[in-house]
Amino acid sequence: MMRRLHLGVTARMLAVLVVLGLAIFPVYWMFVTALTSDQDLFGPSINVLPDFSRLNVFSEALADGQVVGWLTNSFVVAAGTTVLSIALGVPLGYALSRFGFRGKATVGLALLFTQMLPEALLVVPLFAVFRRFDLLNSLHGLILADTAFALPVVALILKGAIDGVPRDLDEAARVDGSNPPTVLFRIILPLIAPAIAAAAVIAFFSAWNEYVFAVTFVFDKSLQPASVGVAGFIGEQDTSIQSIMAVGLLFTLPAVAFYLFAQRYVVSGMTAGAVKG
Amino acid sequence: MPFRPNRRAKTFSVLATVAVGATVLVGCSPSQENNSGSPQPATITFAASTLGDPGRGPGLQKLIDEYNASQSTVTVQAASVPYPTFGQTVLTQMGGGEGPDLVRFDMPEFSTAAASALLEPLDDKIDASKLNLIAGPDKYLNVDGHRYGVVFENSNYGMFYNKDLIPEAPKTFDEFMQTAKATTKGDVYGLAFRQTQAEEAGVWQDIYNYVLGFGGDWSDGGKLTLDSPKVIEGLEKYKELYDANVIPKGADAATFRKMFANGKVGMELNNGGYVTATKSANPALNFSVARIPFPEKKQGSLLAPIVINANSKHKDAALDFIQWILKPEQQVKLQEVLGASSVATPTERSAESLEKYPFLPELDKLTESGVPQIVNGFGPQTADIRRIVVTEVLSSLQGQQDMKTAMEKAQKQAEELVR
Repeated sequence: MMRRLHLGVTARMLAVLVVLGLAIFPVYWMFVTALTSDQDLFGPSINVLPDFSRLNVFSEALADGQVVGWLTNSFVVAAGTTVLSIALGVPLGYALSRFGFRGKATVGLALLFTQMLPEALLVVPLFAVFRRFDLLNSLHGLILADTAFALPVVALILKGAIDGVPRDLDEAARVDGSNPPTVLFRIILPLIAPAIAAAAVIAFFSAWNEYVFAVTFVFDKSLQPASVGVAGFIGEQDTSIQSIMAVGLLFTLPAVAFYLFAQRYVVSGMTAGAVKG
Repeated sequence: MPFRPNRRAKTFSVLATVAVGATVLVGCSPSQENNSGSPQPATITFAASTLGDPGRGPGLQKLIDEYNASQSTVTVQAASVPYPTFGQTVLTQMGGGEGPDLVRFDMPEFSTAAASALLEPLDDKIDASKLNLIAGPDKYLNVDGHRYGVVFENSNYGMFYNKDLIPEAPKTFDEFMQTAKATTKGDVYGLAFRQTQAEEAGVWQDIYNYVLGFGGDWSDGGKLTLDSPKVIEGLEKYKELYDANVIPKGADAATFRKMFANGKVGMELNNGGYVTATKSANPALNFSVARIPFPEKKQGSLLAPIVINANSKHKDAALDFIQWILKPEQQVKLQEVLGASSVATPTERSAESLEKYPFLPELDKLTESGVPQIVNGFGPQTADIRRIVVTEVLSSLQGQQDMKTAMEKAQKQAEELVR
């Protein structure tokens, strides 16, 4: 009996290790490639372990401060997009979930419709609008453009989450004298915290990875986000694979860190919901 | 890896088409500016994909710095636009009434921009005879009777080969095939070329040599000839090499060029601009360049003009830089930076360059037979025709149809496009 239990635990641990390995391997391989010389990269045998004597690839990538600047810009744009998307998405989701108004179905459809248009089709008209309102070549312009794409997803996620909150809670609060904003902020928001965290992760990632608007709307080198900066390592005639891998790795780490941070809230929120009443 | 060139390439192929429409959308017109002829104090931007090249970028930047130090009126700054989406990004910005003041375009994007009135005409500003501009490539910079640029770089396509792996360059296509097969052993490949949709522009450059080399052309100047027997023959030769398993399939240019620099690829067809990059990637590599061993002495050339954005508020300043770079002294320096490419005016190779690259005269001779990679007579539609052709050719490469069917389909689609 004990032996069977041990085998079961071992099998599960092995399965977890395999899944973990599959998830981590691409990141690990980027790290190994960044530390591999050109000769070894195309040599007869594959280097499985990183060559730590070549760690200077990372210090060289960070040396001129350009990469730090790109990452800072990316963080500002992604954080700004996340905050704005959530700030606008919460009342929008609430309105779509709880209120009946003329054109509600059209608004819902329009939100879905925006997700079907590729950025490439919108970049030209948006460029013209941004130019008119002097929003080109600025991080806040980029935040607005990215929010326009993230907001529909955020609003629909939050609408779905609010739909799941019993209307009785709203009515009880209204009987106690609360107005709709109070109901939203004091009653509903704490209950949909996990959904807000999930929506925030989506908004953050979409802005962090965004390239088309960033490369077209921002001309100033010092304002470029990392998605554009990394692409700059691909040259017409020559490309440094190691530099791309090193900077690519640095580019992914803050996003992963944010995900891990937000995931905690997603999980804790879900747990909190599970033990209620 | 966060950067996804595949998806982006598809995205931007759509973008390239709509970019030109932006001119109409924003009602853009050439900006108001001082056109006195003498530059006013200004900081202008210069966008060139070569500025991002590890091999040539620093040399070009040095040249720009030299210009900036030569006077106190104009400052030229490098505009940072990543190579993978360079043409489309700059076209979108220009179509939207913005964009860099100076641009080094490749020919398909140059043709599109010129036909869309996005470029400043230089008719009364550049005197070709006085400047002794090389007539062959220069003639392509006149669109509808107007000059829109001057040659910044003209790079002929030749056959690069590793002399340690291939002591003697093949002289015929059969020898080329045999050499590629014989060199492919273990982790070494006889040949490399682009063969993925993600590198659409690069595939176009590669197949251009096969089409021209076997006597074909994409048009006769007035009518598209994508399905002509000679075009199909050239593309079938390209497919023959693909099917012979002598190339690292799936490898992109960045990867197989590194492989070439590290002795893992025997031959590749590439332009003279690649010489500097190869040397910089591996100074010890024992390589040479010879004429592409196809029956016809015709091959693609990477012609890249420098142009002034019609939206620029500092056209005189931009022109000042162009006139400076056209001076004989600067032309020699530019040529040194660009490696085996030629520039706008005839220049002599230095003894040092010839010692370093003994094959330079061979590459220079190819200027006479070099053809810029546009569809003759359909310059502005080249990018769209390119997308159609590359998609069909790659589908044939992957065994979904034979090359004849592929090119017949391409012909039909392209005819619809240009109608």
